Amino acid sequence: MTEPDDLAVFAHFHDVRVDRDNIAHYRGLMRSRLLVNRCNECGHWIYPHRPLCPECLSFSVEPAEVSGLGRLYMWTLIHQSRDPDKALATPLLAAAIELVEQPGLRYLSRVVGCPPERLRHDMPVQLTWIEEEGRRWPAFTPLDMG
Amino acid sequence: MARNPLRDKVAIVGIGSTRYGRDLGRSELALGLEAAVAAIRDAGISPGEVDGICGTGMTPLAMGGAGFLSLQGALGIERCTWGKNGWLGSALVFTVEAVFSGLCDMALLVQANVRGANMSRSAARDPYRARAARYADVGGDVGLGDFAKRWIHSGEPYAAIMRRYMHDFGVGKDAFAMMAVNCRAQGTANPEAILRHPLSLADYEASRTIWDPMQIADMDVPCDCAEALVITTAERARDLRRKPVYVHAMSLGGTRIGEYYENFAGWRDNSFQVAHRGLWERSELSLADIDLFYPYDGYTMDAVAITEAAGYCGIGEATDLFRSSWDASRNLLILDGRVPVMTGGGGLSQGRAGGANLYAEAARQLRGDLGERQVPGASAALVSIGSFFHDPSAVVLRA
Repeated sequence: MTEPDDLAVFAHFHDVRVDRDNIAHYRGLMRSRLLVNRCNECGHWIYPHRPLCPECLSFSVEPAEVSGLGRLYMWTLIHQSRDPDKALATPLLAAAIELVEQPGLRYLSRVVGCPPERLRHDMPVQLTWIEEEGRRWPAFTPLDMG
Repeated sequence: MARNPLRDKVAIVGIGSTRYGRDLGRSELALGLEAAVAAIRDAGISPGEVDGICGTGMTPLAMGGAGFLSLQGALGIERCTWGKNGWLGSALVFTVEAVFSGLCDMALLVQANVRGANMSRSAARDPYRARAARYADVGGDVGLGDFAKRWIHSGEPYAAIMRRYMHDFGVGKDAFAMMAVNCRAQGTANPEAILRHPLSLADYEASRTIWDPMQIADMDVPCDCAEALVITTAERARDLRRKPVYVHAMSLGGTRIGEYYENFAGWRDNSFQVAHRGLWERSELSLADIDLFYPYDGYTMDAVAITEAAGYCGIGEATDLFRSSWDASRNLLILDGRVPVMTGGGGLSQGRAGGANLYAEAARQLRGDLGERQVPGASAALVSIGSFFHDPSAVVLRA
């Protein structure tokens, strides 16, 4: 599968401020891969998408795929939409997922496959993908403990 | 002790406020100008004496709105030697540092706030407010199409942080409820308060959930308003008509986590903690000298965390502190048996002024001319305004 070119990324994410620092991340999303910048010198993970490693000040930073494992750090259930013409049929969940790659490395996402009343702080979750108006986005689901 | 050369060198000498209203039907600039002119008149100076302006805005050099460029043009001030926009805690700190450093001698600080389309559903239906929001420069890497960017400069994470607080410290919502009820009780004495009727603890509990677990009673009241201050050197303040209120010490906190709020730095390393540590390292006055306390109440979570950061209790201990500081007959928090919290009602009662109402209220109290709600003998105030993430101030003002 060929990588989508820059124009394809801009077209696909027409409502996102795509720039040189984050385009690789969005290119990854188009292929269902969650990429986070990582320092080539010291291995530090860098998020939000920035071109400099804050640990060793190296500009040698490259997007790398994360394992998709994490824990639920915090969440809120949004009962009221900001848009007065779009009432929410059910509350919208926004959750900060702490990725296992590094303490404090968090990605804002959705949790699916789990009713809100069963959410717990620090519960293990894993990456999945959801379809929304023709686009695929990362989401998390409780880790199958097998 | 940290270096503090600005101690008592800079003073507030003029104060001007507009009405507070849910819909004043006027632009941000019009509101800002009204407050500015009132502050200039209160100071007894002419606009031409103003040589520095701190306008309203998150982007320090942005044009439009009630930014410093628009204010200067509209006020017809020919020359300024300093200008910048600020909001929340940064506005006063920017202005005082400019006066202290000599970049200007007579600075005008203007903070105009309007009920934004992102703050209430009825505001979003107002075509003027909706259009303003679409072109507002929020100064961050924002893309609403990407859910992962939803918490850049967003209020929603405060709700998640509130739940995390209750989890980490094993408490319920008592501290948040008491703060909300206290501010509404304080607001009953303020004729400009939008919500002037008291709130009971039961009312708090019954209030509508917005971002679970945050309820509408935890959130400040979006409104139209403006506040302005004139700030000059202590030397010039002595020759002016109003009793000066001095800036004793201040600090503007900052951490490496300023935009993506899911990366919340935790209880010990957030910006409120950093701001207050910076303040107490500089201030000759200590918490025991403070007579009035104004913890910014954009959300009750802010005010609770600021109370802890100020040092009234340890981190996570506000619930016990508030229980032992609760005057149940008046529904008021009285810290250390004598310090009222948020006279005037703050954002939760008077209305959302981005904290500028707290500076104005504290300064009026310290001038001693606030009539019915004057706290007798108040000589020092702690005013702390801002967020967990960006530019919270911690300021000691004194008479």
